[in-house]
Amino acid sequence: MSAARAMLCDTARAVFAEAATAGMAPVEEAGFALLLVPEAEGGFGGDWEDVNAVLQIAGVTVPGLPVAESMVSDALLPAATVSLMAGAMGQALALSIEHVSTRQQFGRPLGKFQAVQQSLAVMACEVRAVEAAAAALAARLDAVGLDPAAADFEMAAAKLRANRAVGVVTAIAHQVHGAIGFTREYDLNRVTIPLMRWRGEHGNDAYWAARLGRQVAGLGGQGLWGAMTAR
Amino acid sequence: MHGWADMQGFALYPFDPPGDIGALRAELRAWLAVNQPQRDIVARANCWASFDADFSRALGAAGYVGMTLPIRYGGGDRHPLERYVVIEELLAAGAPVGAHWIADRQTGPLIVRYGSEEQRERYLPGIARGELYACIGLSEPGAGSDLAAVRTSARETAEGWRINGQKIWTTGAHFSHIMLALVRTEEGSERNAGLSQLLIDLDTPGITIRPIIDMAGHHDFNEVFFDDVLVPHGALVGTRGQGWQQVTAELGLERSGPERYLSSHALLAALIDAAGADPGPAVAVLVGELTAEMWTLRQLSMSTAAKLAAGEDPMVEASVVKELGNAFEQDMPRRVQAIVDGPWDDPSDLGRLLRALLIASPSFSLRGGTREVIRGIIARGLGLR
Ligand SMILES: Cc1cc2nc3c(=O)[nH]c(=O)nc-3n(C[C@H](O)[C@H](O)[C@H](O)COP(=O)(O)OP(=O)(O)OC[C@H]3O[C@@H](n4cnc5c(N)ncnc54)[C@H](O)[C@@H]3O)c2cc1C
Repeated sequence: MSAARAMLCDTARAVFAEAATAGMAPVEEAGFALLLVPEAEGGFGGDWEDVNAVLQIAGVTVPGLPVAESMVSDALLPAATVSLMAGAMGQALALSIEHVSTRQQFGRPLGKFQAVQQSLAVMACEVRAVEAAAAALAARLDAVGLDPAAADFEMAAAKLRANRAVGVVTAIAHQVHGAIGFTREYDLNRVTIPLMRWRGEHGNDAYWAARLGRQVAGLGGQGLWGAMTAR
Repeated sequence: MHGWADMQGFALYPFDPPGDIGALRAELRAWLAVNQPQRDIVARANCWASFDADFSRALGAAGYVGMTLPIRYGGGDRHPLERYVVIEELLAAGAPVGAHWIADRQTGPLIVRYGSEEQRERYLPGIARGELYACIGLSEPGAGSDLAAVRTSARETAEGWRINGQKIWTTGAHFSHIMLALVRTEEGSERNAGLSQLLIDLDTPGITIRPIIDMAGHHDFNEVFFDDVLVPHGALVGTRGQGWQQVTAELGLERSGPERYLSSHALLAALIDAAGADPGPAVAVLVGELTAEMWTLRQLSMSTAAKLAAGEDPMVEASVVKELGNAFEQDMPRRVQAIVDGPWDDPSDLGRLLRALLIASPSFSLRGGTREVIRGIIARGLGLR
């Protein structure tokens, strides 16, 4: 990660931590709405990779605030949601690893049981897939000057892939946590409930699958590979 | 070292091959249009198990085999990511790359890395021509997932190594010229200590190769018996006793390639073509879902390849690619069958591909490390083991 982006992430972590209790005011003061605005116009001059990084942090710390809405145009909200989801899934995985490493049953940490290990491996694959989808979508958006129409294929594929990961990720995270994860107090629900919400927002599975499927049908069997490798 | 933490992040490892990749693709596609044999469509699925010596030779002559090997051994000295692009094109086209597949993918690079000068001169030019084929001698009747249980022994004598034992499930042993075998060279050694890799010419006296017919009715894998087989001292690859470490490195090359998600591409393409430009809702949704998964897998696979090319050891990422790729490919025929009507012996292209891949699919999460073993590697990356 570049030094500039690392700094941006540090700022985002600090600002969002404050916003978690104070609401949108600190986010607005810090100027996150100007992240994508060119420097010449008084903005930060960031790209979608910056947005992706910032929103992954927002997805963990302030899932209930309209951070994405304040930063990007409506047409790009599906892409922004993929980043939020990637962040939240990463956090669900981190909480799960932490929990199974400390919680003991049968005289051992849960993570020493092979059944638990295998479940978390499955979950980790889904999380990694969504992180990859978010990153690849970011690269495409940056390559086409953030034109949502030119990134329609990637936006559809990434949002659909993220939606489909939600079931596996939330189910395994809750399963390995046991009852503690089902409490209001414990942090897990602060990422799993938003994940359930985001799955249905800015295009559910049926919407993006049909849209992408029709686009690919127009390309034909060979054309799909040609299109995928051309961009 | 293979920690999960350092593979997490906001960006993918950049896939940046040198040169004009668009031109490389275009050249290869033009070459394939002329040279790819017009065989049955079913042979296009799982095509890295499709043997065609003439095609392999032609591909080698065109410079698409052994691409990364040094020029002085007949290779192309190309960047590993240029090779990656060529491989994904060959797989997407369903080209019959099975004959030279293992030699090109892992045996050649392993000989460059660990082999002696004599071994390089002896084997690499044939590999780069697409004429010399190799097989992998790891599994034994008592050593499957538990590879450290290998018992086949090689004792050093004045004349060379004397080998006794048996390998099994050896893909392509019946057409290969050489086997890269993991054997126990230290008498009385246990588990992963005392193992070494030997390059064995398969026409050496004392070797018996017997076919095992798989459930698709194909002869792909074999049993290989070693009865007092004598190979020269120079057959040792790398360092005596370091076989385990060398094999582990080799498996990294084996697991992350595009073959882990492109083996069934012919079925997806046939589904799209059968559905036409204006598909019904169920087909459109399935095509959309499969496309989203394939696109994501390609990003992960390219990122892992780039990391490997940069000299890192992305063991966990390679396993993620294999796990997700295997699941995708095992799911695909099942999901296609769920929405496409047709009898089991449907003679259409789609029907025959579907049947072939349904039958082939159980092997995907066995070959190259079982699903459970792969998930175990990922769990270790998560710090759980
Ligand atoms: C098509 C195909 C091609 C192959 N080609 C080659 C080749 O060219 N060269 C070669 O050397 N080998 C080859 N193999 C063999 C392959 O590597 C082995 O099949 C694989 O390593 C598993 O070993 P096994 O079949 O003995 O199964 P086993 O090890 O007996 O495993 C059976 C089941 O038990 C599970 N299991 C085993 N141990 C554990 C554990 N500790 N915890 C949880 N679950 C466990 C496994 O995951 C699997 O599901 C090939 C296999 C196939 C199917």
